[in-house]
Amino acid sequence: MLGNGSTIRMLTITAALSAVMTLGPVSHAAAWSLEEAAAPYKGATIRTIGEALPPLEAMKELAPEFEKRTGIKVEIEMYEHSEAVSKVMLDLNSKRGRYDFIIQPHRELGKFVTNGHVVPVDAFMADPQLRDPDFKPEDQLYQRLWKEISWYDGKDYGFPFTALTMYMWYRSDLLSDDHEKEGFKAKYGYDLAPAQNWQQYRDIAEWFTRPDQRLFGTALQGKRHEALWYEWLNFLYSFGGDMLETKSGSECGPVVVNSPQAIAATEYYKSLKAFSPPDTLNYFWDDVMALMQQGEVAQLIMWNDSTYAVAVDETASTVVGKMGFDLVPQGDGGKVAQVEGWTYLIPTESKNKEAAYLFVQWMMDYDQQLRQHLHGGASARPDVYASADVQKLPYSKASMESNEVAKPKPTVPLSGEMTDILVRELSSYLADEKSAKEALDTSAQEISTLLGSCAPMKYPVE
Amino acid sequence: MNRTKQSARGQYLLDRGASLPLILPATLLVLVFLVGPFGYMTYTAMTDLSYANPDQNGAFIGLDNFRHLVRNDSIFWNSFWLTIRFVVVSVTVEFLLGFFLAWLIWRFIERQRLLTTLLLVPMMLAPVAVGLIWRLLLQGDFGMVTYYLHKIGLLSRASAVFSSPDLVMPAIIAIDVWQWTPFVTLIVLAGLMSLPKSPFEAATMDGAGPWRQFIDIMLPLLRPIIALVLLLRGIDAFKEFDKVFIMTGGGPGTVSELLSIYAYRVNFKNWNLGYGAAVAFMVYLVVLILCSIFYKAVYWKPSARQARAR
Repeated sequence: MLGNGSTIRMLTITAALSAVMTLGPVSHAAAWSLEEAAAPYKGATIRTIGEALPPLEAMKELAPEFEKRTGIKVEIEMYEHSEAVSKVMLDLNSKRGRYDFIIQPHRELGKFVTNGHVVPVDAFMADPQLRDPDFKPEDQLYQRLWKEISWYDGKDYGFPFTALTMYMWYRSDLLSDDHEKEGFKAKYGYDLAPAQNWQQYRDIAEWFTRPDQRLFGTALQGKRHEALWYEWLNFLYSFGGDMLETKSGSECGPVVVNSPQAIAATEYYKSLKAFSPPDTLNYFWDDVMALMQQGEVAQLIMWNDSTYAVAVDETASTVVGKMGFDLVPQGDGGKVAQVEGWTYLIPTESKNKEAAYLFVQWMMDYDQQLRQHLHGGASARPDVYASADVQKLPYSKASMESNEVAKPKPTVPLSGEMTDILVRELSSYLADEKSAKEALDTSAQEISTLLGSCAPMKYPVE
Repeated sequence: MNRTKQSARGQYLLDRGASLPLILPATLLVLVFLVGPFGYMTYTAMTDLSYANPDQNGAFIGLDNFRHLVRNDSIFWNSFWLTIRFVVVSVTVEFLLGFFLAWLIWRFIERQRLLTTLLLVPMMLAPVAVGLIWRLLLQGDFGMVTYYLHKIGLLSRASAVFSSPDLVMPAIIAIDVWQWTPFVTLIVLAGLMSLPKSPFEAATMDGAGPWRQFIDIMLPLLRPIIALVLLLRGIDAFKEFDKVFIMTGGGPGTVSELLSIYAYRVNFKNWNLGYGAAVAFMVYLVVLILCSIFYKAVYWKPSARQARAR
């Protein structure tokens, strides 16, 4: 009996233990709440900084909800792109710890990590008090994008604030106009449709360049500004070129920026100047967006986080309902786009790291991501794009497809200086100060010298 | 008697070292805000400090930065000579125009207060605001000034000012002249109004004409004012940054990359602070040379022989 009783008791205990082990995570998941996790930090103020664009404005709208639930106050500073980057750099180096978390373009990541300015998030993720069990970035985010923009040297430093990429914007009303179609076919011998390759892109640009009607075929972001480099990358990648021969942004490798493909891409890029407005060498992203909003351009290559202001926001745009979006036209490099994104990071000197983590984690939740995306954000969660409301946005398909074929760009510590060299040389080429080959050869030489022995020139200059 | 006593006591206190507390606050201010930062900049210029590159953590490298700057940095020299041309042309035009306007006002206008107030407007604007205003006015598609330039045929419809490499620097100089000519006018006008009348009356009695009086009396009397205005404008123009940065960012290409913009790029784009400090030091050096030249000009007096020869 004893034996039987003991066995039954053992079985009961085993069953109970099994039940606890099985249900444990569930009951813990049910038990975890943002309010309780945030209780130790109630009354704290967390401050962040980012670029003054719709995604951050949408976050500012959402923050009061977090404040109400947690008692943690969120202060958001918004600045123009370069300003947002340089303010962070100064704060990190002064070690003042003004910002509890920062939102920065991912090209800065290598600089922050190698100088010890930001902390990995694995400690927060491993803390059951902080980690929302429903937050599973390894399942919920675009993995390649997350690993490229928020990871460095195999360590996770944050989560994507935006999954940015560039694609083709075009005036669908113009491209589907019967009269235009007829004339275009008569001149070029094929049907007018969104450009699939660069020859078509140039033909369409030429066809719609009518300065007397205040309409131009395209608009280049030709100002001496980062915008020029970002735009040019689409052409570079599509023509089969690259800057460094590497597999990921955090690697260093041979310099290939003066390859024959890169030279061809750059020459093609400049050839579009003839179909751009006269002031195209003084444009950056704001200017070309304004031109599209005014209905003065037929097609261009632009950012997904600016699309909302053109395609949806009727208070700002005259072309709502007249826009179409597609991948960047194809060249020898095939279907490509560029990985870009601003990422949430937690500085080493942050005074409220845990509270900052809780806010970031809350922002990554589906509900917040969906609402942010619908108000001009660019979510890194594929499930957000599956939402019926998001599907209705005219640019969702192009955005998703571009994310899937996006190529990484260097995030090594000196990537900022690499960008500056290329911006200067590309701008010199556009201003007729030198040829494409001279500009790219100079860039390659300077980048190789800058990065050192890990970056020999694959195409040496004689 | 009482006053003499007080004065003697004051002298006694000064002699006993009481002057030190009196000059200490000003000395501290100068040390903290001028000498300290300058010393730090000079030291930084002799290091390899970079906020971007973890391998460059501020090691002392002597004069390497200066050596590289002077011998190998073609962009630095391009910016340097561009800045010199910008300073010479803009300050010369501002001075001639400003002097002429001041003379017109002094000679022909009775109620000068309203006019001088109006003249103040461009120079009261923050340089960033001036940059933004002119960026919009000269914007190729919507800019009001561009519209009229097209209309009167001064600018081809297929071109825009800030996208035309040949027009960028003339436009920047014209905007600088617009902003700073009133400054020259006001200073010179103040100088003209304080001129003594007797030398002119005496010269008139001696039969000197207006041109002779201008060359031999007015200009020598105004020399300190002229030197001051040229010095201030020269230093300011050499440091020009805000307007150009807003309007062109140094482009297209390197067409408008003044030295200050180059220094900004090295320091705050590339975070190469050691090298950037060397660039800033060179700017300081040029300004120092300018100052000493003008200082000599102000206090220059003809020697006895030269005076006799005149």
